[in-house]
Amino acid sequence: MNVAAHRHRSPWKPSTRAVASLVLIVYLAAVILPPLAGPPPTSELANWLIRPLRPFIGAMYLGHGYRFFAPDPGPGHSIEWTMRLSDGSSRVGVIPDAHTDRPRLLYHRRFMISEKIAPSVPLLDAPEAIRVAARREWQPLIKGIAGHLLRQHRGEQITLVLREHILPSPEEVIRAQYDADTITPLGTYQFPPGTRL
Amino acid sequence: MSQTLSAVGARPAPDCTPGPWQEQGHHLADKSWRAEWLVAWNSFWFMPADPLPLAMLRIASGALLAWSSAVWLLDAEAFFGNAGWLPPANVWRMNDQPWQWSLYFVFSSAIAVKAITIVTLLAAALLTIGLATPLAAVVSCIGFLSAANRAPLNVFGFDDVLGMLLIALVVGPSGAVCSLDSLLWPNRKSIEPSVRANIAIRLIQVHLCTIYFFSGCGKLLGATWWEGTALWGSIANVQYRTLDLTGLARFPLIINLLTLGTLFWEVLYPVLVWPRLTRRLVLAMAVMVHLGIGLSMGMMEFGLVMLTANAAFIPSSVFRGLWHSYPLPVPHTLKS
Repeated sequence: MNVAAHRHRSPWKPSTRAVASLVLIVYLAAVILPPLAGPPPTSELANWLIRPLRPFIGAMYLGHGYRFFAPDPGPGHSIEWTMRLSDGSSRVGVIPDAHTDRPRLLYHRRFMISEKIAPSVPLLDAPEAIRVAARREWQPLIKGIAGHLLRQHRGEQITLVLREHILPSPEEVIRAQYDADTITPLGTYQFPPGTRL
Repeated sequence: MSQTLSAVGARPAPDCTPGPWQEQGHHLADKSWRAEWLVAWNSFWFMPADPLPLAMLRIASGALLAWSSAVWLLDAEAFFGNAGWLPPANVWRMNDQPWQWSLYFVFSSAIAVKAITIVTLLAAALLTIGLATPLAAVVSCIGFLSAANRAPLNVFGFDDVLGMLLIALVVGPSGAVCSLDSLLWPNRKSIEPSVRANIAIRLIQVHLCTIYFFSGCGKLLGATWWEGTALWGSIANVQYRTLDLTGLARFPLIINLLTLGTLFWEVLYPVLVWPRLTRRLVLAMAVMVHLGIGLSMGMMEFGLVMLTANAAFIPSSVFRGLWHSYPLPVPHTLKS
């Protein structure tokens, strides 16, 4: 390219462009580094570089990995619950509920609850040590969900399970023969006696 | 209307003839190489651009944020309240606290969370119609960030991309044209090509290329994407399904084609979207992929926000053609 012939004339002064360039470089780093630094596998370098930018990335909601349906599309999950009410009756529900969670964006917002918790819940046949360690991660989140549901429905006790919906192969669909979904208990919860909901 | 997709942002065609520096030794060549980088950087970011494409993105993004806010509002206490799905004490488990600030942390009563969501909804409506646009863009962005940072258990790709668009709308003069502001307070200077409009569009373009690149690279780690069966995983997932395509089980080669086509389109998007020759194909594929996801997987909002972001690669001449067919008067200075 003939630089002299194509001298670009920006209306901005060189000093303004220099300052704007610095801001742009920081912003671009805040865009590019998060998907390099997570989700795993990631490099130590990316995690080191991103450290000073964490406040900005967090404040601007830029910390995304952008791994849509990657590395492989997995099965879907839902959280099913059974609640005992104060009058002795029981109530059941599911998160998300395709029949009642309308419009569809509301369904997706609730669907994300089960999808984001499911990766940290190991299957029942996982080694005990793994399940105990994982419970420390997912149980506080499940307690929050259980508490919300108990308050919402004025219930006394709630039991939750995670259902992993079977992802049938094309052959299974053609034969119309499906394996059973996988169910993992998430526990039974209740507020201490006398707690105001 | 011109259908020619020209290069986005006026960039000079590469001059392949030897420049004088190439005949004057390495020192001059190095200097010119650095100068070329500087020229290219300035040309890419700091040349004035037509504000019309940004205004089109503003209308679509504002409408999507208004819709998103209305849906948050359906269950605002559960999403943002102290006794919701994710109590404030647990938010750090899902995102990067304390950096991911939110107004909902400060004002968390039942009335306050509804009020903040309603203000965001109103700001998004103003952004869509272009009334008090700069203020509406800032308030929309603050409201959006507050929601996304407070409810990490409920956000997904739609929010990631909408946030990217809103930041650009704050940066650029998104209300300069196609807005009530421009009708009520006509300002000849504000409708002229501006550097801020160019920066805003460039931010979206570069960010979108980053999204596709990492989305594609992430898929390269998955065996089902290489085997060409990954799309079946989406088709067979009952929780996403709004359109039953399981009949494709009998046509594995079609699933292979769709899977591999999606994979390589995503990986190559950051390269092929820039040349005029391939841009139209890449954008056409974006329309098919995102409408397909929207219709078959019930994620129409995600599909629409991705298409909105892709519109940043449509040259202003195309929007200008649409604008000319619109009955509102077009300022003389912007007539092509």
